[in-house]
Parts: sequence; structure tokens; C-alpha cells
Amino acid sequence: MRILLVEDDRLLGDGLQAGLTQAGYAVDWLRDGEAAVAALSTESFAAVVLDLGLPKRDGWSVLQWLRGRHDATPVLILTARDQLEDKVRGLDLGADDYVLKPFDLDEIAARLRALVRRAHGRPEPVITVGEIELNPAARTVKRAGQPVELTPREFDLLHLLLQNADRVLTRRVLEEQLYTWNDAVDSNALEVHIHHLRRKLGNELIRTVRGVGYTASAASSLS
Amino acid sequence: MTATPTYSLRRRLVWLLTSSVAAIWLLTSLVVYQRAHHEADELLDSQLTQVAETLLAIVAGGEVDHFVKELHENARRYPVPITFEVWRTHDGATERLVTSPGHSELETGTTLGFSEHPHQGTSWRFYAAQDNEAEYRVVVGQAHATREKLAREIGLSLLMPAALALPLMALAVWWVVGRTLRPVDVVARQVGALDAQALAPLDESGPLPDEIAPLRTALNALVRRVTEAFDNERRFTADAAHELRTPLAALKVQAQVALRSQTADSRQRALMQVMAGVDRMTHLVEQLLTLARVDPANQASPPPPLNPADIIAAVCAESLPQAQLQKQSVTVDGGPGCTVAVSATWLQIALRNLVDNALRYAGEGAHIQVRLAPSGAGCSITVADDGPGVAPALRAQLSARFVRGEVEDEGCGLGLSIVARIAALSHAQLELGDGLPRADGGHGFAATLHFSEAPGQA
Repeated sequence: MRILLVEDDRLLGDGLQAGLTQAGYAVDWLRDGEAAVAALSTESFAAVVLDLGLPKRDGWSVLQWLRGRHDATPVLILTARDQLEDKVRGLDLGADDYVLKPFDLDEIAARLRALVRRAHGRPEPVITVGEIELNPAARTVKRAGQPVELTPREFDLLHLLLQNADRVLTRRVLEEQLYTWNDAVDSNALEVHIHHLRRKLGNELIRTVRGVGYTASAASSLS
Repeated sequence: MTATPTYSLRRRLVWLLTSSVAAIWLLTSLVVYQRAHHEADELLDSQLTQVAETLLAIVAGGEVDHFVKELHENARRYPVPITFEVWRTHDGATERLVTSPGHSELETGTTLGFSEHPHQGTSWRFYAAQDNEAEYRVVVGQAHATREKLAREIGLSLLMPAALALPLMALAVWWVVGRTLRPVDVVARQVGALDAQALAPLDESGPLPDEIAPLRTALNALVRRVTEAFDNERRFTADAAHELRTPLAALKVQAQVALRSQTADSRQRALMQVMAGVDRMTHLVEQLLTLARVDPANQASPPPPLNPADIIAAVCAESLPQAQLQKQSVTVDGGPGCTVAVSATWLQIALRNLVDNALRYAGEGAHIQVRLAPSGAGCSITVADDGPGVAPALRAQLSARFVRGEVEDEGCGLGLSIVARIAALSHAQLELGDGLPRADGGHGFAATLHFSEAPGQA
């Protein structure tokens, strides 16, 4: 899942990028508000982790701009200011969550999972499609109750497909959500991952929509 | 609350006004009484004269017997406050014709006009008159006590209404004073309603008298100053919280990354980041402590004048290892000697921060020049570099706490705040401007401290 991290502090940004990548996110890290606005206006992210004190354009302004264009991307605010009015202002401007520095990496990861889940309108933490169960927090997948070993990239791809079950995801959307700017993407990498997923989870789950992309659905296993 | 002695302005005003009015009233009363007495005297004198002339006319007209008879009849019914005698001088012999009833013979009779004599044991006033032929002589008299009583009654009847008016006037004064002082009450209530947590200036819309308006203006000025200082402190706390929490968050996150790293390489990298974070925190904490130490209370007063050349040389020497690492050069341009009145420690801190900033921000290979020059009666010390410089619009904000230039850097944003504070406490000016010329035609950054003449050197 691709996350945009906007944090001007070099050490903290570096740590968050490394930590969230360890937690299975594809993290793009930007260090000022202008760059964040530029990135958000052209690409889509599963969530934004936004620091408030940013050079060039502060977090408030980025948030306001984002909500002003009716972009519902979940936003998690990072701040060192614990004044109540700051929290209220952030939430009122359209932030979805608020974390006070210093924080725990696990907490950030958990909150991001919750944000993404809620953004997809799912109250339950475990995604179930047919006989496949995916637990985003534990990053585990079960097929008919039996654990299945997946590589991080395969897991992320499955997560995306199950999250948007019964919808067709284009190659571009999938690649955008899976890879950061730093990742060198092989032109047939996606096909390779899909192939591996079908081998591990059965051919019925993921269907190719020719010329468009892929879709995952429970119904396909019945047909 | 200790009971500080207070007094009511209203009570004091009423008391002072009423008592001074009463004093003036008493004085005027005395004069009025005197005047009334005098007028009564004149009136009674003219009455005496009239009675004497009338008697004389009656007697000369030969009506004496009839008059005496009538007189005795009346005297039984109405006591007359006037006594009289009538004398007749005929052929050299003088005889008393009439004496007023109830009075023994008067011992007077010789001098004409007014005179004072004792009569029946008290003091009396007499008037004697005679006709043109000096045949008849009339003497009329009146007891002083009677006259006094009359004069007093006239005087008092004039004063009575004024005496009654006095308490009424006190009431009026009480009311007027209360009404006039109402704006004071209003201001007092407004001040009483001020919230110490959220000080707000008093409402300046209501009209106030000229005497009280300055009080409200001064109060509002005070409220604004206190609010500003309060806000400043609050901002500092918020800023410091931000500046401390962010590196702490970075440390924690990097440590967690290190703990979870699957490979030795990534663990090593994260641990190096932790080390860098600790170094940065150390620098920040040291700068915060320095800022706190630059306090007027810690300064020997007044600082002895000193020549900054030695301190400049020492600070530059300290910076050399760092400069060599970054391939930078540091030169000192010492002018003719001059002295400044600043604590040596503070000057050292200020210069160290300026040179440190230059090393940090001027970039690799930059040249840094520290220049000492006499300016006016004092000294100016400039630290200039040929680095990227700072846009003029941004310079003004630089000396605020926690503001960094728009550069990729790990500085904590306190250096220039510390220098600015030292400058303010040493009566020096900190000027931020263009530095040394760069090869591309632009200018680096320069910070100049202008110290005025060392006191005691004039």
C-alpha cells in the first residue's frame, strides 16, 4: 500500500520511511508542502502522513488544499504541538487522525491500517473473500484456514485486490499503489506477482480483464 | 488579603466640599449678622428720633395733659419699650412735665442728640431734642437689651433658611459626586471582570471623562504588553516542545527500525541515524541552555571594556578543524584596536554562534571572514561568508527562535536568537546583510554586531 510521507525533519522522515517500509508499506517521502501538493495532484496514495510544521507550505495548508479539491485520501497528522486547539483545528480541517510526537512506529502503522480500512468502508480488520482471509495487521493470509506464505510484494498486491474486491483495478493503479518512485519497476513484474498469487491461492480468485487489468472476487471460484 | 488602608473618594469629596462650604457659610453668616445688627441699630435710632420729635410736637402744641392721660391708659394695656421725659424751661426755671409710666426719673437731660447712660442698673440709649425756642426738651430712651434682642432676631431670621439649606446641600453634593464618579465604578467593574487566563483590553467604546480615560488607556497598554509577553512565552513553550519532540520521535523511530531490521546493513544504518539524532539533541539542548544562561542576572555589571581581537582569534582557531573538514577557509581581518563593553563570555558565545552558522550554511569550500572595525565611537564585528546568502525578506525572521534558513540542515534554529539576545542585553545592534561577493555575482550572508562605545571611555 502506497503512503505519502510529508516530513521535513531528515532523521524522522528517514526513520519513518524505513519503519513503514518494514511494516509493508510503499512509502514516498517528501520534505516540503509544495512538493506534497504537487505529488497529491498527480498521483493517488492509500494514505498521507502529514507533519504540520513544513517549509514552503505548512501542513494545515496542504490539508486544506487536499480537502478543497474533494480528495478523500485519509490523512494522519504528525505534530509536536499538544495544544487542544491545534488538534481540533486539524480534525476540523479534515484530518482523519492525529498523532503526537514522539510516537511508536507500531502505533503509526496500526492507525494507518485503520484509516485505510475505514476509507474502504470496512469495519472489520480481517478481509475475507471466499475462502481467502487476509489480516493486514499481522500481514498473514489463510486459504481455507491454512496459512499461505507470501512475499511482501505479493501480500501487498493481494491486499489491494481484496480491498477492492469485485472491482477492476487497472495496471496503472496497481503499479501506482505498489511501487514508490524509488522502486525500479520491471515491465512484467506485475504479471509475475499475479502468476505467483494464482499458484499459491488457486486460479479462480484473480481474474484478468483483458486490456484493462485485474479483479478479485469470491464469485469467480463458484463459476 | 491584607487590609491596606483605603478611603472612599466619594466620602472624602462630600466631606471636604460640605465642610468648606460650611466654613464659608459661617463666615458669611457672621458678616450678615453684623450687617443686620447694624441696620437694626440705625432703624431703632431713627425710631427714637421720631418718637422724640413727635413728643416735642405734642408738648409744644399744648396737648400735654391729654397725651399724658392717654399714655397712662395705654401703658396699662401695652407695655411700651421706650421710656421718655418731657421738660419745660420757662423764665429760667426748668420743670419735668411728663415721665413715662413705670420709670423712675432719668438722670440725663442736658446733652442733645444720642448718648449712652446706665439706667435702672442696665445700659440704655437716649435721644434728647428741644424745640426752637429751647422751651421744651424731650428725652427718649431704650434699653440696650431690647435693642440687642431685636437686632439678634432680625439677624437670625435671615440665617435660619441658610442653616436649613446646609444639610440639603450636603445631600446634593453626595448625589452629584456619586454621579460624577460613576465612570470610576464602571472601569473598576471592567477591571474586576478581567480574566487572568485570557487577558483582554477593556472595552474602549464607552465615553469616559478626560480624567479617567488615561487610566483606561494605560491599563489597556499594560494588558497588551502582558498579553504579548504571555503569548511570547507560550509560543516559546510550543516551539520548544516541537523542537524537542521531533528529534525524540526520530530517535525512537530509528531505534525501532534498528530493532526490527532483518539485515545487519540496515540495522547498522539505523543505529548510525540514532547516533546522529543524539548528537543533534545534544546540540539543541546545549543551545537551549546557552539561551537560558544569557540572562542579565548572570552578568557582572558593568562589564569591563575589552578588546575583542583576542576573542575573535580564539573563536576562529576553535572553528578551524571543522572548517578544514568542509574545505572552508576562515580569515580574520583585524582593524585598529577598539574596545567594547560586553561580557567576554557573551561575546565568545555570540561569535561562536555566528562563525558556527557560517560554517554550517555557507557550504563546502566557502570562505568565511571575521572583520573587526571601529565604527563611530565603538566597534563592529562582522562575520561574512560567500555562501548562498539569505533573501532579504527572510532575514528579519532569522533571529526568531527555531527559525532556520531555507536550507537542508540539522541546525536547531537557535543560534541567531542567542546572538540577538546577547546584542539586546549588551546594547549592541545585530544587522543581517549581504556578505562576501560570490563568483556568480551574488553575495553571501553577513551578520554584524555594532557595539557602541564602551561606557567610561568617553
